[in-house]
Amino acid sequence: MTAPVEIAVERHGGTLVAHVTGEVDMTNAGHVRDQVLDSVPNDALGLVIDLTECRYLDSAGIEVIFDLARRLRRRRQELRVVVPHGSPLTRVLELTEVATAAPIHETVDSALAG
Amino acid sequence: MLRRPSHRQRDELRALASRQAAVAEIGRRALASDDLDDILRAAVETARSELRTDYASVLELTSDGRSLHVRATAGFPDDMLGGVLRADAEELSRIALDRDEPLSIGDFTEEPDFVPSAVQRELGVTSALVAPIGISGRHFGVLGVYAREPRPYEAEDVNFIRALASTIGLAAERSHHESRVRDSEARFRELADTTPALMWMTDPDAHVTFVNEGWLRFTGRTLGEELGDTFGLSAHPDDRTELLSRWRDAFRRREELRFEYRLMHAPTGAYRWVLEVATPRFADGVFAGYVGTTTDIHERRSMEEALRESEAGFRDLADSAPVMIWTTDTRGLVTFVNEGWMRFTGTTLAEELGSSWALGVHPEDVEQMLASWHESLDGLEIWEYEYRLMSHTGEYRWVVDRGVPRYEGGSFVGYVGAAVDIHERILMQQQLREVYEIEHTIAETLQRSLLPERLPEIEGLRLVPRYLPAGEAIGGDWYDALERMDGRVALIVGDVVGHGLRAAATMGQLRNAFRAYGLIESSPAEVMARVNRLVMSGEDAMATVLYIVLDRETGEVTYSAAGHPPPLVLAPDGAHFLEGGRSMPIGAADPAVFREATGVVPPGSTLLLYTDGLVERRGVPLEDSLERLAEAAGEAEDDLEKLCERVLGAVLPRRDPSDDVALLAVRLSAVSGRALRLSLPAEPESLALLRRRLERFLHAAGADELESYEIMLTVCEAAGNAIEHAYGPGDASFDVEAALVADELIASVRDSGQWRDRRGEHRGRGIKIIMGLMDDVSIESQNGGTLVTMRRRLAHARAA
Repeated sequence: MTAPVEIAVERHGGTLVAHVTGEVDMTNAGHVRDQVLDSVPNDALGLVIDLTECRYLDSAGIEVIFDLARRLRRRRQELRVVVPHGSPLTRVLELTEVATAAPIHETVDSALAG
Repeated sequence: MLRRPSHRQRDELRALASRQAAVAEIGRRALASDDLDDILRAAVETARSELRTDYASVLELTSDGRSLHVRATAGFPDDMLGGVLRADAEELSRIALDRDEPLSIGDFTEEPDFVPSAVQRELGVTSALVAPIGISGRHFGVLGVYAREPRPYEAEDVNFIRALASTIGLAAERSHHESRVRDSEARFRELADTTPALMWMTDPDAHVTFVNEGWLRFTGRTLGEELGDTFGLSAHPDDRTELLSRWRDAFRRREELRFEYRLMHAPTGAYRWVLEVATPRFADGVFAGYVGTTTDIHERRSMEEALRESEAGFRDLADSAPVMIWTTDTRGLVTFVNEGWMRFTGTTLAEELGSSWALGVHPEDVEQMLASWHESLDGLEIWEYEYRLMSHTGEYRWVVDRGVPRYEGGSFVGYVGAAVDIHERILMQQQLREVYEIEHTIAETLQRSLLPERLPEIEGLRLVPRYLPAGEAIGGDWYDALERMDGRVALIVGDVVGHGLRAAATMGQLRNAFRAYGLIESSPAEVMARVNRLVMSGEDAMATVLYIVLDRETGEVTYSAAGHPPPLVLAPDGAHFLEGGRSMPIGAADPAVFREATGVVPPGSTLLLYTDGLVERRGVPLEDSLERLAEAAGEAEDDLEKLCERVLGAVLPRRDPSDDVALLAVRLSAVSGRALRLSLPAEPESLALLRRRLERFLHAAGADELESYEIMLTVCEAAGNAIEHAYGPGDASFDVEAALVADELIASVRDSGQWRDRRGEHRGRGIKIIMGLMDDVSIESQNGGTLVTMRRRLAHARAA
């Protein structure tokens, strides 16, 4: 059984927001990365990964964030990550120093503004 | 925890539903059509399109097991159909048959042990999936799909082809039985119309539906005059009252009727003595009316009467009579047989005198016949026995022989007897019995194959099912349990209205429908509505169903009861029924509104699901039966098997229900916050299950939300490593243990592989998470495996 996840992408001006709902682990990480990448056109300014409704994210999921940041950087596009205040994911993102690859915001609005 | 399925999972669900619908469709065809080739053709098309392969075929094993007959193909060249292949050349099929399980080859070029057959090589087959049809020892053949591209066949593919193969097996078996039934029915009708005996049949309302030529000749009436409520119409007025009362008696009890009376014989215009033997018949397990045979015993009765008057008159009469007459002395030795007897046996008078007549009796019958004769002789009672007697042609024919003691001046002087040839009647009865037995066997086989052989192992639940059939009749009760994608469990019991083949078949379709919709729909009311729509669009069928969705983590249940009695909850604080969600039975109306209700089944308690047969008693209000059930189940019982036995014992003391009974006991394991121990296959798919188990355990141990998340993540990171490093494919597994010691949570993951040097940042991140989220971590190599032990103090550990 692969972990259940749903990805919804919406556009805010030149920036895309990908809402990740559900769980990301080694069974579906590759699928999440491909689906997000496919939805970002070359002319987009950047991408916001919204993890507000993400209930589980393991190292395979963290790897997806690093990988996306790397690929977008090559296209001169910026990646930001949204994790709300008090989310259980916070500590994991700190430990793995995700912020060094993509700035972390607490809300989608702040990510779009920043 | 919110888990909405992704697009891909929806696609997978859709594919799964499509496959289940496809199997159900083949099953429906198998029940509706008796054209096996048509069913096989549909099955191979289905297999080929659902599994997206280039070719599919059904190969039938010939009776000597040496060859495979190509019964149906899809994608293969047309000239293959009808051909015969050597079984030992079709290696894949042969191995699947030998092992009695499906077999797949992802890529022939990488499996030097398996050689594709000549045909397969010619068509460029590179991968294949084959499944045996039928059960070991009675294999029908092999269902296979073949593709030109290499491809891995997943567990779902194997399950699908297995389901399809078992459906085909059922169809093949049914077709085989049906041709036998048709043959024997044809033989029966032929026999009925050529026999000199008189024959008739009634429907279950005692209306005459058939009389044979012999009967019409005897009574001189037309078929139109005989059909309907005509029983006893041509009987002698002096005999009619008793005949009718005996008939009604036997009919009510579904017992055999044997009665001698006088029947109007039209050709002579006089009444003649006949023996009526009427036997209840059961088509398909259900009472279908009576079949009767009427034998002319007038000569025998006249003999008995004549003998009472004078010995000489008797002998004259006896010799002119067309039946077989005999007399004995007081010791039971034969003193006289008439012309009729000698005509039948082809012997002389001298050969029949004394006790030598028994030489002509069939060896299988003679011993019991003589025992019965001597017993009657000892008590000077009337003797009657059916046995096979050798006729002058050398053929054994069934006769019924009856002897009556006779007295002169008050003292016993011997027996007088008469035998009547009843060979046709006996043959007919045997034929009938065979027809019914075959029908019964089909229904039974069908039902056995439709009930789950054993329920799936569902983590956190213990399931014990019981099924009691109602005597000979085949019922339509079933039970089922399945694990949904969202982690909840669907529990189902149902009862198809009616009995026999049709009910069993409907049960199979409903069970499939509930499995398919149960996976897709989360609302019980919506599942009911969908199945109802399906039933209403198809055949005439009705069923009561109880459908429960249970959340193992919270004990919350959502349920709907379509005309079904309420399930019983045995909670630590007492027993109660879940009485909500009452709705109409499935198949009663469309559109219909199905209600659902919610409730809570606390951890450690037991749910009892059952069908009508357990609680319905004639003349007893349902409330009383339910109360009795609650009482019987209510006393605490740790062992579920014992609980089932006790409930059945208390509610059905004689274990012979008039309706079939399905009972499903479900216990939610009380979650222990003390210790958790799990062994899981070393594959990524195990992680989701591991997370659920850990969540339940950590919650019970008193971990807060954040602690619970971080510990779960850590253990899964360690498990992820174990999975990535497991040896090859095959049966590798890893063990997880977790325990609360004082306020410290200790978790360990043990595998049989070596943790490799961490290459790249990704691996480093996993270990960073493990180290960062736990207070203490140790990694040891031992016995060719790796043991990771992790500790973390909980803020509010729950004292055990």
